[in-house]
Amino acid sequence: MSKEQTSRPVILVVEDNANQRLYYQEELQDAGYEVVTAGSGPEALEVLSGGGVDLVLLDIGMPGMDGIETLARILEVNRELPVILNTAYSDYRDDFMTWTADAYVTKSSDPSTLHESIREALLKRGVQPPEQPEGESEGE
Amino acid sequence: MSESLAAPGDCTDALRRGLVMVLAGGQGQRLYPLTMRRAKPALRFGGAYRIVDFTLSNCVNSGLRRIYVLAQFAATSLMRHLRRGWVHLLADDLGEHIEVLPPQYMSGDRWYAGTADAVFQNLRVLQDERPALVVLLSGDHAYKMDYRRMIAYHLAKGASLTMAALAVPREKARQLGVMGVDESGRVVEFAEKPPEPKPIPGRPDEAMSNMGVYVWDTRALAERLTQDAKQHGEHDFGRNIIPAMVKEGDRVYAYEFVDPKTGRPAYWRDIGTLESYWESHMDLVTVVPELDLYDQEWPLYTARGHYPPAKTVLGSQTRLVDSLVCEGCVVSGARVERSVLSPGVRVQEGAEVVESILLDGAVVGPGARLRRVVVDEHLQVPAGYQMGLDREKDERRFVVSPEGITVAPTGVVFH
Repeated sequence: MSKEQTSRPVILVVEDNANQRLYYQEELQDAGYEVVTAGSGPEALEVLSGGGVDLVLLDIGMPGMDGIETLARILEVNRELPVILNTAYSDYRDDFMTWTADAYVTKSSDPSTLHESIREALLKRGVQPPEQPEGESEGE
Repeated sequence: MSESLAAPGDCTDALRRGLVMVLAGGQGQRLYPLTMRRAKPALRFGGAYRIVDFTLSNCVNSGLRRIYVLAQFAATSLMRHLRRGWVHLLADDLGEHIEVLPPQYMSGDRWYAGTADAVFQNLRVLQDERPALVVLLSGDHAYKMDYRRMIAYHLAKGASLTMAALAVPREKARQLGVMGVDESGRVVEFAEKPPEPKPIPGRPDEAMSNMGVYVWDTRALAERLTQDAKQHGEHDFGRNIIPAMVKEGDRVYAYEFVDPKTGRPAYWRDIGTLESYWESHMDLVTVVPELDLYDQEWPLYTARGHYPPAKTVLGSQTRLVDSLVCEGCVVSGARVERSVLSPGVRVQEGAEVVESILLDGAVVGPGARLRRVVVDEHLQVPAGYQMGLDREKDERRFVVSPEGITVAPTGVVFH
């Protein structure tokens, strides 16, 4: 996952559900990103301590350390790292801590909002997102 | 900007649902050595009080009774004071409380970076309590203020943030945080120590200075704190957050703090330096002090020990003039002028104490002479000793402020 070998931005997908983790991994790889994954908050922090991640896609509802707690801890060590909260529920928006995230995306079958939020957050930090693969194949 | 916009009673619900955060974490370096072993807000003030008592009494007298104190340096002294003097005043069962919040929110391995960071780290408290508004105060100011008036003003303006403002002469404002306001009281400019402070509309010689007393809409506060947390900077309300809000045209209003009886700027002091500490004590010993400690309408609460009455003996030699003398003091045939004696102080025969502040249990030995000094708790000034009369000599042993206030801190050895 070293950035030097590839100029593609690296996204850390944090998601406890293995199927969803795989889905986001493939979705983002298809869009031209390098993807690393973590199945829990502590695992995500472990990955982040190694550096090289450009953006975190963070699930909120995870057992143990949830996404909000993980977000707080990420902020503690790296204020600049863009984090996008990705959740099936919109209720968490009421939690003030979620406001520190770059975006709050509600999980849906249409990933276009997610892609747009990722591009925006990266551009804001001066990281060039991959060219949008217009009408590209469906991955796999 | 007027006091009379709304009666205090108009904001009952906001008061009930309001929450207070008192910033009490400053190190108080400019009050060193008095803050060597105690938090600045826990420092004795006015003989019987601690500095923080003024802000807390304002809260309780204003009906704001959900109070969090954000502590940090030497917090033990502050926590002890709150436990002894304050916790029992508030009724937990009625939802009232006073609690100390140490730096804590996130991973807990760092201290507060700035005033905004201190509140940000306690965002969880705002989350859980969901107050209608947050009154953000400082634990080291001496003043008496009815926050209800300010809250009523804040609500009437529909403000995101209302800042209490004290009108000061423009030349003095160059040392302060200054708000430029329009006719409606809206803050259109904010700068720390501006070379050219913006005058108040219609009052060309005065400027509005920031008192560090804020009423926040909770949502606006949370938004600003979470934005600020992602930025590099000092995470300070005065230096970062407020200038950004004003620049972006957010609804920030200035509430002018005036004495409701006279319409003149009310008494307010930031007890930040040895000089201001000493001077505000000298304010208290004047015949009619601006800061009235004897006002039954606005009681000042504190922790009190069990002391016998103050006593003077050897009457023919005792001269006690323009001074505050607390319970438990004994002045025996000594001269005490324009001074403040905390509980349990003894001034022995032939001693002379002028324009000085003696903290709890200090003993001034026979024939000692003190002028413009602060003597820390339980120190014993030896017989015949002189302090505050020979600056060069004092500087070898004590801390002498640039303005000539001599401080004998705990642990000092007199010779």
